[in-house]
Amino acid sequence: MDEARAVPLTEAQSGLWYAQRLDRANPIFNTGQYLDLRGPLDTQALSAAVAQAGVEAESLSLRFIDGPDGPRQLIDPALRPQLQLVDLSGEPDPEAAARAAIRHEMNIAVVPETGPMARQILFRLAPERHFWAQLVHHFAIDGYGMVLLTGRIAELYGLFLAGKETGGPISGGRALAGLSGVWADDAAYRQSDARADDAAWWRQAMAGMDEVIGMAPGKAQSAYTFRRFEAALPPSAREALLARAKDAGLNWPDVLTALVAAYCRRFTGTPGITVGVPSMGRMSAATARAVAMVMNVLPLRVSPDEGAPLGDYLSAVARDTGEARKHGRYRSEYLRRDLGLLGGNRRLHGPLINVQPYDRPPRMAGLEVALHVTGTGPVEDINFTFRGDGTRELSIEVDANPDLYSAAEVAAHGRRLAVFIEAAAQAERLVDVSTATPEEALHELEAYNATAHPVPEGSLTELIARGMAATPDAPALRFGGAEIDYAELDRRTAALAAALRARGVGAEVIVAVALPRSFELVIALVAVLRAGGAYLPLDLDHPAERIATILDSAAPAVVLAQDDPHGLYGTRLLQPADWPSTAPAALAKYPAPDDAAYVIYTSGSTGTPKGVLVTHRAIVNRLLWMGEHYGFGPQDRILQKTPATFDVSVWEFFLSFVTGGTLVVAPPDAHRDPAAIAALIRREAITTLHFVPSMLGAFLDARESDGIAVARVFCSGEELPADLRDRFHGRVTGELHNLYGPTEAAVDVSYWPASADDPSRPVPIGHAVWNTRLVLLDDQRRPVPLGMAGHLYLGGVQLARGYLGRPDLTAERFIADPFHPGERLYLAGDLARRRPDGAVVYLGRADHQVKIRGLRIELGEIEAAIGASGLATANIVLAKDGRLVAYVVPTADYTAEALRAALARRLPDYMVPNALVELDAMPVTANGKLDRKALPEPVFASSGGEAPAEGTEARLAAIFAEVLEREGAISASDDFFGLGGDSLSAVQLLARVREEWGHDPGLAALFEYPDVRGLAAQIDTGNGDDGGDEGLGPLITLVRGAADVAPLFLIHPAGGLGWGYRTLAQAVSRAGAAGRTVYALQSPALDPDAPAPESIDALAADYARRIMQAWPQGPCHVAGWSVGGIIAQAIAVELEAAGRQVGLVAMLDSYPADCWRAEPEPTTSQALRALLAIAGYDPEKYPHLQTRKDILDFLRAGDSALGNLPPRALDGVIRVVLDTNRLIRGHHHRRYGGVLTHVRAGLDHQARPQLTPQLWQVLGTLDSLTVPFLHPQLTGADASALIAPALVERMAACEQVPA
Amino acid sequence: MSTMTLEKLRADIAALLEDAPESFGDDENLMDLGLDSMRAMNLAMQWDEDGVPLDFADLAEAPTVAGLWALLSERQG
Repeated sequence: MDEARAVPLTEAQSGLWYAQRLDRANPIFNTGQYLDLRGPLDTQALSAAVAQAGVEAESLSLRFIDGPDGPRQLIDPALRPQLQLVDLSGEPDPEAAARAAIRHEMNIAVVPETGPMARQILFRLAPERHFWAQLVHHFAIDGYGMVLLTGRIAELYGLFLAGKETGGPISGGRALAGLSGVWADDAAYRQSDARADDAAWWRQAMAGMDEVIGMAPGKAQSAYTFRRFEAALPPSAREALLARAKDAGLNWPDVLTALVAAYCRRFTGTPGITVGVPSMGRMSAATARAVAMVMNVLPLRVSPDEGAPLGDYLSAVARDTGEARKHGRYRSEYLRRDLGLLGGNRRLHGPLINVQPYDRPPRMAGLEVALHVTGTGPVEDINFTFRGDGTRELSIEVDANPDLYSAAEVAAHGRRLAVFIEAAAQAERLVDVSTATPEEALHELEAYNATAHPVPEGSLTELIARGMAATPDAPALRFGGAEIDYAELDRRTAALAAALRARGVGAEVIVAVALPRSFELVIALVAVLRAGGAYLPLDLDHPAERIATILDSAAPAVVLAQDDPHGLYGTRLLQPADWPSTAPAALAKYPAPDDAAYVIYTSGSTGTPKGVLVTHRAIVNRLLWMGEHYGFGPQDRILQKTPATFDVSVWEFFLSFVTGGTLVVAPPDAHRDPAAIAALIRREAITTLHFVPSMLGAFLDARESDGIAVARVFCSGEELPADLRDRFHGRVTGELHNLYGPTEAAVDVSYWPASADDPSRPVPIGHAVWNTRLVLLDDQRRPVPLGMAGHLYLGGVQLARGYLGRPDLTAERFIADPFHPGERLYLAGDLARRRPDGAVVYLGRADHQVKIRGLRIELGEIEAAIGASGLATANIVLAKDGRLVAYVVPTADYTAEALRAALARRLPDYMVPNALVELDAMPVTANGKLDRKALPEPVFASSGGEAPAEGTEARLAAIFAEVLEREGAISASDDFFGLGGDSLSAVQLLARVREEWGHDPGLAALFEYPDVRGLAAQIDTGNGDDGGDEGLGPLITLVRGAADVAPLFLIHPAGGLGWGYRTLAQAVSRAGAAGRTVYALQSPALDPDAPAPESIDALAADYARRIMQAWPQGPCHVAGWSVGGIIAQAIAVELEAAGRQVGLVAMLDSYPADCWRAEPEPTTSQALRALLAIAGYDPEKYPHLQTRKDILDFLRAGDSALGNLPPRALDGVIRVVLDTNRLIRGHHHRRYGGVLTHVRAGLDHQARPQLTPQLWQVLGTLDSLTVPFLHPQLTGADASALIAPALVERMAACEQVPA
Repeated sequence: MSTMTLEKLRADIAALLEDAPESFGDDENLMDLGLDSMRAMNLAMQWDEDGVPLDFADLAEAPTVAGLWALLSERQG
């Protein structure tokens, strides 16, 4: 009868309903507030007022029914809230106790099917001090509804008080409106033309919107709680705001919204930002006085031109918000769908800006009232809320997602925003307003850069000479198995240096070195330094034209080379054959610290490479820092494998001579060959080497790198991916260090230990080296606050002198340091942000420079080369996904081959574009600028739109078409929501999937993998079953096989999850002739609401029932790994007792429960650490992860399937893990009448010889196998390849016996 | 409490809509003219400050000059 009265949800409720359905246990949908009441309170009057308001506000007694036609709701008078009294006046700290109690209440998730929607609690702290808390689920109320409700209760309170005094009847005031009007209003709008018009208006307003980027990196998905910073806006800020609004003739809330949006945009680093602006949506007679969920969130796009008058921007935002509100009834959930923004991380807006001028404490007779809001619903990203009337008070609340923002960041936003509002309200232009507060600016400039460290005044030449003299007999240099000691190095370099001096080499004279890796190369470089000159490395592989350009620009006095292939050196050539072997006299005098040490050419935007000139002072600082920081000594053998033209080679060449170690020079082409590098490391006992990260990846992929041990590996040249760091530590023994720096600042200016226990994602570039500053400044060269992206500027002793012969370029990139008179800053052209620990995180290039294979490339240089070819009238070069694409408008002579050939003559191979795209004309925007978005995608390989593959993909595509009522082909990459699917059709889709495959991957998976291919993969892996939204159901299908073949049931190990059997399941399916279905049984206790199992026997009985249900007749095969095997044996006992034929009973390295009773009980920490293994990590590598929080944070930051479970599901896994020990210790085996197949991990159990298969002999007839693996490896691919055929053979044998 | 006149009422609404007072009729629905929740809320709060006995719900329930004036006349006596 109830059901008959139920009505569908309003559109506003529906949006929330589906959000809550994704995570039913999330209590963040509770909204709430409490009033701090000081003074004499009449609790009877308040109770009466609450009761009366509860009758009027029907929404507080809503109950929901989730049926086949979707959710419905009805008013259930039994659920009306009554004031509950809690006396805390006896507590030692009543206020704290009340706050804790309110927090507790807020954390209780409401079950919409049972209610209640609302709770009203009065905490007595003292006779004249009360907290009156109200909690209402968001389905039933919104912010304005809460104001109405509170106002009405306050009004009724006054009336009851007055009535008491006069003894007369209660009358007056205005009752709240009921829900019928709200429902009718909603139904009318659904069917109106206005709705269609609104939808069309929004689609147009949002057309071409950019991807929403948050103020902090990470996935904007509401957690269970939020972080809060709350403060009063200082009166000076409030007054400035009001004055500005008055001056501009605008509403102050609009001005405030505009200023906050401008603040937020500064953190995204994009020209525009889309923020969310809540809209009350109360402009109808039916909703104006109704307590209900009505509000909507409207996306607001702003693109402030910071250099233009601020008034223009404020007016534009006020106008745009006014327009948007006219169409504000159209739900943002639907708009998000219309725009194809469902699934993954795509969203409609970033930060929420909520100005609630109406939200002020109600007036209550005889009481002083203060308002505290405890929750306003999900916090996906960050919400800036302002409450108060503006004239008397205005508070700022910053609520943020704890997964994205730390408490310190939230507080910093609150404090900084107040300062920003005050300054911006008074500014002529936004560009004049700093983002950082003065304290933050000082911190950025000084505190993070306190790197002063004494370094002796001297030259690299002097350091090398001292090193050679210190240990003359020690090995200095090795190449191709040969070795020379320091004495010989000294003699030969001195001799060549003397010859160079004789040719006029001295301070500031350049000597080119064009030699392959060899003893001679190293001798040449050291000799140039000893002669007092600066060396210039030339790459033998570079085109002649490029080498000619460099020689013209650098004008070297001598060229040290084998020969002169292009005829460019002339009389300057000095060949090794002509080098003297003894010096006529000792070399006097070392270079001065500010003399040039080397010149390295890098790509230049104007089409000519530019020579970076580095002084001795700069490189000495870099080398001494490295030697001391990493403790280099005579025992070290450094590998020299980087080409001399890449400045990483500089420390490789010279550090070991400074620290007394041995330099091992790799053969000329070895640096590209992982196998050769691995062999060299082993043969030469290398302790230290360098990789560009992409090359490190290739090295780790090579079979030969397995088990390599070195002291340290340095990475630089490109971003070091966190996954690569983790792969490194899984394969190589040794330290890994991430270094960063441009050629213009003497190789590296920052360092970060990328150690095995470093959970950083991304890996930072870290902290500044000695006597060096890394400063992050905004576009106006003001320091940025912590966490905000800024341009990276470098300062200190390592800066290069500048570009050789290019004072113009030097002045452009090396600017006067505005904060340290007399010093310089180098504009690195990189974007970065600083972490709370001060470490700098690299974010990407700020200009058109790109890095390919670690080499810096100016796209302009390539564009200039294309222009010079005469084959294109216009061109632009872009880097896409690490590849270069040239768009060209061809001339009549153009052919792609001709252009490639022309470019190869001028540019190094890594600068020749990977793809050439011919255009009739360059696309331009309305104002004549190149329209980058209009450039077509290059075709590297196959494009999107691929047809679905036969099988699951094709069947799923057909279901997409059916559910969405679409005709025409659907491709494998088509997105369900992109094709017009919404929450409701999603439910239909999953129902069809279940019909077709017998299980569905759940709503959460659909949102994650909305495309045909992705979802098909989810279906194929059997994720989800029996309603388990996240693959957590008690029975999941790992492989689906023929319906008439007896399936194999695999029983979960300690973690309760069966996913780990996927590989084994596939191997079993492949090993048999008739594709066999493989299921996994998972612990029902993964559902935190389910009771914990009593015992293994109870669990086994439950599992046996499920098995018999899934496979009603024929032999039942069960197997399990570890704890799973113990349970499998118990299931076999149950099945036998039930009279069922039992087939295979296999235990993969399981030992009876009795063995474990003798062991010491594991600690909670040990049990929790098992989660790491379950997630696929090696717990030994993360010894510091001990607490539940540490482990959870670590898992969440990673990309394992386990770590990405919804919080509730992960809680379930933890519960199972912690409970396993109790179950096993309490288990007493019963004998099983059939055969037990035991598979022993033969390589394991050295420490526990008592664990033998024979322990099972008393519990069944033993069939024992051994495989050469460790216990944890048994479910992996290699072990499965051995085990699966053995299992299949035994299952087949059982099946031949008639049942 | 200051007494509200019909002219003052019209002027307040016109200022909010950034329109001339004579540009809309007494029976025109103010919502069609751009009166939205936020604007209405601001006006209601300003009236509350000035002691004018009209609130947000009145604006939503009777969104015409004539309708509001009828309510006012009744309440101002």
